[in-house]
Amino acid sequence: MTATYEQLVSILTTLHDAPADHFRPEATYADLDIDSLTMVEISIHIERHLGVTVEDSELVPDLTLGATAELIDARLAA
Amino acid sequence: MSATPAGRPDRVAVLCGVGGHLPRHRVGNDELAARLDTDDAWIRTRTGIRFRHLAAPHEATSDLAVAAGRRALANSGTARADAVVVATTTPDRSCPATAPLVAARLGLSGAAAFDIGAVCTGFVYALAAGAGLITSGVADRVLVIGADVYSRIVDPADRQNAVVFGDGAGAVVLRAGHADEPGALGSFDLGSDGDHEDMITVAAGGSRLPADPSRTSHTERHFAMRGKEVYRHALIRMTASARTVLDRSGLTVDDVDRFVPHQANLRILRTVATDLGLPADRCATHVERAGNTGAASIPLALTDDHANRLLRPGHQVLLTAFGGGLTWGSCLLTWPELPPAAAPAHHEQESSP
Repeated sequence: MTATYEQLVSILTTLHDAPADHFRPEATYADLDIDSLTMVEISIHIERHLGVTVEDSELVPDLTLGATAELIDARLAA
Repeated sequence: MSATPAGRPDRVAVLCGVGGHLPRHRVGNDELAARLDTDDAWIRTRTGIRFRHLAAPHEATSDLAVAAGRRALANSGTARADAVVVATTTPDRSCPATAPLVAARLGLSGAAAFDIGAVCTGFVYALAAGAGLITSGVADRVLVIGADVYSRIVDPADRQNAVVFGDGAGAVVLRAGHADEPGALGSFDLGSDGDHEDMITVAAGGSRLPADPSRTSHTERHFAMRGKEVYRHALIRMTASARTVLDRSGLTVDDVDRFVPHQANLRILRTVATDLGLPADRCATHVERAGNTGAASIPLALTDDHANRLLRPGHQVLLTAFGGGLTWGSCLLTWPELPPAAAPAHHEQESSP
């Protein structure tokens, strides 16, 4: 698991109350029962802590945590 | 806009009265769930709202504003004011302003009276305008009212907004005084971003698109809000504005005894408080019992907190609002010693409405 993924999980645990073992790379936001307002908060925190802009339209319920980390890494590399 | 301690004149605005009024008709989540495709759990998880009060068909914004204004004047110890400022998005009529009628009905004919339009930030803007009237020597006592009847512009079938908005009015009285007195208004921060003016709208009814039923749609004639985008901007702007006003005063969040933000929904309040590093129990949460009452939400929350003794003399109070425009604003004040006030939902046997 990458450093970006670890940082993403650290953001998620502060914003969403779920058992730690539910945060897996293949889990989607829908699997975690994360609602649309929390998705907005996640996007703001990604921007604040990782310096990457992820649009609300990209952060969709069926996106996995692993895919989110890849999206962030691709932005960081660009 | 700023009022730095160095530039502050000797004469400042001091809060000396508070009052609020919610219409009698209280609507619970189950009643809304019965006609909208939603349920109590969904509404509470998303918004934290349990009740909202709705104006009766014969009640307009001025009726609620007069009731709140009367209570605030009574709380201040005298019925006198030489200016009345009403913040509202739902004036009685497109023309004229609502404030002159409110002033007349309160026995204040002759007072300066005008409306402020800054949507849900309206009260903080009106407070700044009221403070300005005092510091400039134009007025000695100003009645500042936030009043809205959102049920007139929200589509009752709109699942997103009908559950969130409620009707109400709140008011404060300002008088001329000194910066070191309890009740003194401190620094302000006001701002706007008109590039996002289409994020919160009633599209029809203005000079851009008159509300001709044959030329406008049902949707255009009602309140519309792009929820997710508004949530994002509200979190960012409210947090930044609160920090700005604290910086201007040389204070930190640890100095804030009570945080009274615009009561948009419980999620926004809690998240902004967390981002600022404020404990949840220092944040006013009147929204649970009144919904989002627009420009009325901050003075209603102040009244409710005062009635419940959550606001104590000497408390450092931080007000922060965000609304359509986009607009945002914050203000710091110390809470004064005031007589007890009735809770906004309380209805005594009044001889006149």
